[in-house]
Amino acid sequence: MQLFPCPFCGPRDETEFHYGGDAGNVRPDGADVPIDRWAGYLYLRGNPKGTAREIWVHMNCGEFFVMERDTITHKVLSSAALGGEHTA
Amino acid sequence: MRDLAEKSSVAPDWRNATIEVPGLKIGAVAGLHQRLVSGDLAAWAEASGLDGTAVGAFGLAEGIRYSVRLARDRLLAVSITPISMAARWFPQGFAVTEISAGLQVFDVEGPALQAFIARGTTLDPRQPSASAALSFAGISAIVYRHESKLRIHIDRGLAAYLWTWMEQAAGHIAAGK
Repeated sequence: MQLFPCPFCGPRDETEFHYGGDAGNVRPDGADVPIDRWAGYLYLRGNPKGTAREIWVHMNCGEFFVMERDTITHKVLSSAALGGEHTA
Repeated sequence: MRDLAEKSSVAPDWRNATIEVPGLKIGAVAGLHQRLVSGDLAAWAEASGLDGTAVGAFGLAEGIRYSVRLARDRLLAVSITPISMAARWFPQGFAVTEISAGLQVFDVEGPALQAFIARGTTLDPRQPSASAALSFAGISAIVYRHESKLRIHIDRGLAAYLWTWMEQAAGHIAAGK
């Protein structure tokens, strides 16, 4: 079992969380978005070895947040509510 | 035609359903008025007169009227007497939703309460957590202390499942497993 820090609730069991994708992968907007931009948004992932910034949601309280964690050691480096005003 | 109702647990008559084993007593709580409040909780506290300091996970709620924090912008108002605030949107910035029929409530008490909690959740009951919404018995529940008891609110559709789980957990605790 691993504990993830919800910015609102504090440490909770990892089973209470749901992965929401890479942080910063913003959906393209507009009618003239190039096809390679769409492909990048939909299919291409960084899959970094080491520090990764990801969107997660704590399903029990509904908090969406950015979590920074190490994909090798599984150590959580930081978590912050989307908007940035709350951190844990 | 297949009878799909056979797949589901049969809900007991909550008016007199109890589980009693040495060290543990579990019963359903009827007649509570429950309202979900979403939005500006400070504005809600001012408008309703209810204390804005809502309890979190395993927090202690007392009295006949209190509130339980569910999320950064949501709480559950609980009262034995009817809550006068109407269920609607309020221009101060919050919405009130009637949910009394949607959540079944259980009280658990006895010297084996800690063992019961340990079977239900991995969350440390001594560690404060702002939200009382947590995973209990594998499902999402609202869990806090009400006076000397542990109080659990659960979606009514999952109440029969949780009751079955509590019967088994109580049996295992009584048997010392």
